[in-house]
Amino acid sequence: MATPVVDNPGALGLPYSDPPQRRAPRTSLKLRNALVGWTFVLPNFAGFAVLTLIPVLLLFYYSLTNWNIFGNADWVGLDNYARLIGDKSFHVALGNTFYYAAFHIPLTIAASLGLALLLNQKLRGAAFFRTVAFFPYVTSIVAVAVVWNMLFSPEYGPINQFIGLFVGGELPGWTVSKDWAMPAVIIVGTWRYMGYYMLLFLAGLQTVPAELHEAARIDGASVWQRFWNVTLPCLRPTMFFVTVMVTIESFKVFDLILVMTEGGPGQATLVLSQYIWQKGFEQFELGYASSVAVVLFLICIGVTVVQFLYNKRRDA
Amino acid sequence: MNRKTIATVGAAAAASLALTACGGGDASSGSEEPDGPVTISLAGWDFASTPEFETLATAYEEQNEDVTVELTEYPAGEEYDTALTADLAAGTAPDVFIVKNLKNYVTFQEGGTLLDISDVAAELDPATGGLEAMAVDGATYAVPYRQDSWLLYYNKALFDQAGVDHPDGSWTWDDYADAAAELTDGIGEDDVTGAYLHSWQSTVQGFALAQTEGATLDSGDFGFLAPYYERQLAMQDEGSQPTYATVTTNELAYQSQFGTQKSAMVTMGSWYIGTLVAEQASGDADEFEWGLAPAPQFDESTTGTDNTPVTFGDPTTMGINAGIDDAKVATAKDFLKFAAGPEGAAALAEIGITPALIDDTVADTVFALDGVPQDDLSRFAYTTHETLPENPVGADTAAIQTILGDLHSAVMSESDPVDDAIADAQERAANEVG
Repeated sequence: MATPVVDNPGALGLPYSDPPQRRAPRTSLKLRNALVGWTFVLPNFAGFAVLTLIPVLLLFYYSLTNWNIFGNADWVGLDNYARLIGDKSFHVALGNTFYYAAFHIPLTIAASLGLALLLNQKLRGAAFFRTVAFFPYVTSIVAVAVVWNMLFSPEYGPINQFIGLFVGGELPGWTVSKDWAMPAVIIVGTWRYMGYYMLLFLAGLQTVPAELHEAARIDGASVWQRFWNVTLPCLRPTMFFVTVMVTIESFKVFDLILVMTEGGPGQATLVLSQYIWQKGFEQFELGYASSVAVVLFLICIGVTVVQFLYNKRRDA
Repeated sequence: MNRKTIATVGAAAAASLALTACGGGDASSGSEEPDGPVTISLAGWDFASTPEFETLATAYEEQNEDVTVELTEYPAGEEYDTALTADLAAGTAPDVFIVKNLKNYVTFQEGGTLLDISDVAAELDPATGGLEAMAVDGATYAVPYRQDSWLLYYNKALFDQAGVDHPDGSWTWDDYADAAAELTDGIGEDDVTGAYLHSWQSTVQGFALAQTEGATLDSGDFGFLAPYYERQLAMQDEGSQPTYATVTTNELAYQSQFGTQKSAMVTMGSWYIGTLVAEQASGDADEFEWGLAPAPQFDESTTGTDNTPVTFGDPTTMGINAGIDDAKVATAKDFLKFAAGPEGAAALAEIGITPALIDDTVADTVFALDGVPQDDLSRFAYTTHETLPENPVGADTAAIQTILGDLHSAVMSESDPVDDAIADAQERAANEVG
């Protein structure tokens, strides 16, 4: 849009209070604001570009080479991706990643929302319990793993001793059993992250207008009806944000599994991020590891895009 | 996060290729003696608890006044390889570095990061443990300065308490299993077992690979592991050693199991001699009389003190960065010759480290340390053995060891029967390697 620029409005015989005279400084102000804005954004963006954007672009490039860290990164085209198709360990890792996500996402959302609803009440000591619930999130992952591994110990662990009070027969082997290792990791993963998402839900709950609840109560709505028809719709933006975050987090799960089971027993808890580590930093096949990373990247992007589209459709 | 890390390391490496490219080619030609003072840098890990690097550096500096050996500290454990690899790729690694894990030796060598030091190797005592195994296509790129071998440690007091005869050097693994069962019964305390098997895959696989005739990793045939696993499973089923589940979920440490007399026997590398002596002195371990015996053998053909028992252990080796300044090559080579030779060995023995070259001086030094057992069998076990590598030098060793590590956890956790796990590992090796 062309804006008349008037250097000296007085020369045109226009009164100083006329709009064009004001418009001129406003344009330069806009530019200046933009420049100031960009200046503030620049350090952050430079960091993003150097540490995230460029590496991600390089990742795509390296996934098409046989790079083994020391020099020779020969172009191999789609060979790495072709190899992925026949790589059984990759299939196992992919399956386990979805296994973890399929349980971790709904469990974490349900648990954190439940906690938030519970601790949103005006109870004595609510602040204390909120802190307690958030604590696992800031605790060292190694400490978490050591303690939980002891709790899960099949022979001496308190969990199995407790279960043994109610059911007989063979008790779960937890982290040292092929069938139970993943459930054990999912339980700990959910426990660890629910406090963080609880905080987000608590923030979301503050935005639910009290008068809506009041009106619903006057209309005779039950607690469940009020939750379903008032609270939940109001929480939609929070719910969307939490779902996206927890989804990405669960597809990227790495440290928890590394310290709890190292992917074992066998390959029972091997997930994609760990497979990337194994191929890249234990066997130095960085080209191939990059192609696995690209797959993980595409899964995260794909799932997020689907969630955004779904959210948009519901908004419309 | 990994994605980012990989790519970041990638960017750094790509940017530095130009820098490193010039160093690789002709550095080996520089062998004239330098005139002035020279400083060479040496990469090691965790100096606070690993004194061997400083010991070697100081001992060498004392003999060569013109030379300074500067130590560069890296993280310990698996992190060492990762951090060093990144520095090698970026061209910022020290002049001399430890090739800590033999399974990555080929990666370093094929990547052109190691100088050909066949001339140094040729001057070393051929008896230097692990030296032969370092040859790749007739050339040597790293020389062993330290060679731990796996031995049997036993608690004499607990043996006497249970009324079980001490090991006499004639044990096969079946004798070991029988003794473990007898000890467990004889000691008769709930939390004390006859044996302890640490969670590492090498505690089973290292012996199986070394002691089985014709067994190799790259054959893709892992049937040789079966008898070893069946024995260990039987032992944990009958309670003569803690189960793998207990060891891993309770994070048991072999030092505390043996050191606080929870287990009467443990097979462990010779580095544990120094640790145990130190822990008994500091009070971290109980005071009790212990002894060393040769590792139990596959069959009777290698048992007895008139034989050479077969065991395993990877040498810890030292190589020269291919990117080293030409003027420093001669000094670096001389340092390697010193570290891997008798003088380095003597210096290491004084701090309880097992050097690659074990001669009488070394044995005398080690057995003169306070707290080291003085009986003949202990000395025999320490000085006499054929030690085969746990990670034979090969391009696929790292990948195969990952597969065998999965096999180990699947079998020892009793998630998979031995034969199924072996079949699965063989299929994976065929599918993923080579």
